[in-house]
Amino acid sequence: MQENTRRFLLKTITSLPIVGGSVLAMHAILRFFKPTMVGGITGLMAPPDEAGSALQAVAQVSELTKPWDFKDFIYVRKSVEYSSRKWQGAKIPGFVVRLPDEFVDPKDEKSKYVVVQRICPHLGCTFNFISNSEELAGGYNYKAPPPFHPHFACPCHLSVYDPTRPQPIAGSVAGKAFDKLPGKVVSGPAPRPPRTMAFDIKDGQIWITDTEGGGVG
Amino acid sequence: MVNQVPTWLPARIANFIPRQGLLRHLLLGLICAVPNLVDWVADRWNKMDLFDETHVQEAKTNPWYSLGGMWYWAWILVIISGVILMIYYIPETSISFRSIENIQSNWVWGAIPIGAMVRGIHKYGADAFIILATMKCYRIWFTGGYKNGRELSFIVAMVLLIIGMYSGLTGYLLIWNQRALWATKVMATFPTYLDQNPSYLPLGEFINATNQGKTTAQVLLGGTSIGPATVTRFYAFHFMLSFVPMIFFELRVYNRGFKRMNISNWAKLAVFGVILAVAILIPAAQGSPANPEVTPNPILSDWYFLAMYHMLKLQDPYLATILTVGIPVLVLLALFLDRRPETEWGKRQIANWIGIGGLIYFIVFSFLIIEGIADIHRDAPLWYYSMGLFLLIGYFQDWAYVMKRDSAKWWQTFHVFFVVFILLCMSANTLYHYFGDIREWNNSAKALMEQMAGGGAMTQDAAYDLLEKTRPGLNLWHTPAATVAAGKPKGMELWLFHVIGWLGCIVAGTVIGLARWGAKRDAELAVLEAKAKPKAAGA
Ligand code: HEM
Ligand code: FES
Repeated sequence: MQENTRRFLLKTITSLPIVGGSVLAMHAILRFFKPTMVGGITGLMAPPDEAGSALQAVAQVSELTKPWDFKDFIYVRKSVEYSSRKWQGAKIPGFVVRLPDEFVDPKDEKSKYVVVQRICPHLGCTFNFISNSEELAGGYNYKAPPPFHPHFACPCHLSVYDPTRPQPIAGSVAGKAFDKLPGKVVSGPAPRPPRTMAFDIKDGQIWITDTEGGGVG
Repeated sequence: MVNQVPTWLPARIANFIPRQGLLRHLLLGLICAVPNLVDWVADRWNKMDLFDETHVQEAKTNPWYSLGGMWYWAWILVIISGVILMIYYIPETSISFRSIENIQSNWVWGAIPIGAMVRGIHKYGADAFIILATMKCYRIWFTGGYKNGRELSFIVAMVLLIIGMYSGLTGYLLIWNQRALWATKVMATFPTYLDQNPSYLPLGEFINATNQGKTTAQVLLGGTSIGPATVTRFYAFHFMLSFVPMIFFELRVYNRGFKRMNISNWAKLAVFGVILAVAILIPAAQGSPANPEVTPNPILSDWYFLAMYHMLKLQDPYLATILTVGIPVLVLLALFLDRRPETEWGKRQIANWIGIGGLIYFIVFSFLIIEGIADIHRDAPLWYYSMGLFLLIGYFQDWAYVMKRDSAKWWQTFHVFFVVFILLCMSANTLYHYFGDIREWNNSAKALMEQMAGGGAMTQDAAYDLLEKTRPGLNLWHTPAATVAAGKPKGMELWLFHVIGWLGCIVAGTVIGLARWGAKRDAELAVLEAKAKPKAAGA
């Protein structure tokens, strides 16, 4: 063991350059798997790819006149793809919900609507709009306090979001910063409210202008 | 083994090393760490057993030692059937579901559905792979087969089992049906939580800034969402995951002249027969085509992931992610902590209870998720409790054995700090779930809120705001000041008591453990020196 020790030490010393070389090679391999990665050490710290958004009309204002009217829509987002196609149209399901007047700021037309991506911020399932209190209690394990109003609820791990209540969270969409989002988590394991979408109201239609990134589409 | 001063160490440094005592052993341990590790690995590498090829003798009398051979045989069947499937399978989202349909119903020979049979063999062969791999891991665990320099046998079996599970995950997506899509989505969202380390952890913010979690997800998916590139990638991984390890095993068999499978041809025929029979009796299901707009309820995965999925329901997602990654690490930790040479069942009860506990959780969790029974507040503490209980039962059984073996008095062998540590963990978890659970907080605070809103003291909004401010975070260290002011310091005090208790146990246990370790090394050293003396005198 004594003589071996010396040999092993020498071996260790010679293996250092080999290890260094392999680390460099690993970097090349990683760039093969993720071709959008920039070079050098900075590449390892670079922010991940984000999907691109474009203007799309998703609902008519006339469809959402009464409180708790809602519409589910599909927004097609340009999603990065590491292949010869480079892009893919990923379907992002969303909800637009008309809030009752008590939650609306009369000066702000947009505050009438809550627009969210239906991709659950927990682990990515598509959540539902539940307007029946028994279904919410029985199927999603959440007894909402009276007076009852509809909630978003996810079938996968039973996260429930309240569209009328905001939850503090910092982020930005379309260059605009926000400090809270509607859809506070009231039950279940979700760590944050649903991802949001920036929208405009024009010509009696609701237009999605940008979407919050992150998550798996 | 006690470390000697290495001959290559310059005398100047060697002189600084004390003649004996804890410091000497710690220093030498550090200096010799690399060469010792190389030695250690080389030794384990020689003793490594992959598919019971070193247990040919035992296998003749004890069927448990045929598991490895059967496992390898199942793997071969999976690969053969997989390669045949590749002829008709098309890895492209728009058509792969139909290509499976085609394999399933159009590829017939007279009345014999060849395609369905090959697919069934692949699918149930893969199931057999997982079952046999698990059984082999358990056999090694329960027979202490990882002891006496055979750690690698267990580690490699576990890694191969994980590779098999990952093959299952990648293969599952290929058929592009609802279940596959959603199972993959959940799996791919997992790594993103690795970027959500809380800022109070040392290096937490730094790790988050490296975006390794999201990068991992994007590398796996081939982009920012599940789509055609994902299927292409998974197809490549699926193939590679089987072929690369198999090449290594074949090389080892070739180099060392092992018998590849230690089972008879009859056993092979029987394994094949069972898989074929299942494939014919229960044709592999196909489900409905993947649809990103609708989540099936409940979402289930392949059976071997069910228990893990259930765990997700019981936990904050960050913790669940860490646990998922951590389970194999914990198993390894248990393996390396079990350092006694005894391999008999009755003489190593802690290890047995860890194994039995794991099996119980696996079976019960799988059952619960199929039945859709999950309640974070009610269930999670129960599971933590039972874990602590298993460890305690194992500990006390072991303790009884050690007392008898060494005919020692109880205080000489009783590890009070270990027991107190486990007890503290069990009670802390109640606290954690009582004060930290989001939903329970909302439910219990709702009454308070309604009362306040009803009394006209504040608006509902203000009440909600107060609620939000006073909700304790998951980290009880960081309970907001408002919570304390709102009259909830009881949890804080209890929590502090726990943390002090934990730290005390860890520090006291470490100090005592190190002192004992040093004394033992000193004794070994004395024996060595006594042996060396006559030689030195002779020379
Ligand atoms: C190199 C060897 C392998 C090849 C070439 C291969 C090939 C394939 C192909 C072409 C499919 C899609 C066809 C279908 O689903 O019917 C598939 C599916 C699948 N593979 Fe493999 N595979 C191999 C090894 C494995 C291994 C080792 C496992 C797991 C231990 C595995 C598990 C699966 C599973 C679970 C499916 C989904 C089958 C279903 O649900 O019908 N494969 N594989
Ligand atoms: S994915 Fe929605 S709760 Fe888990």
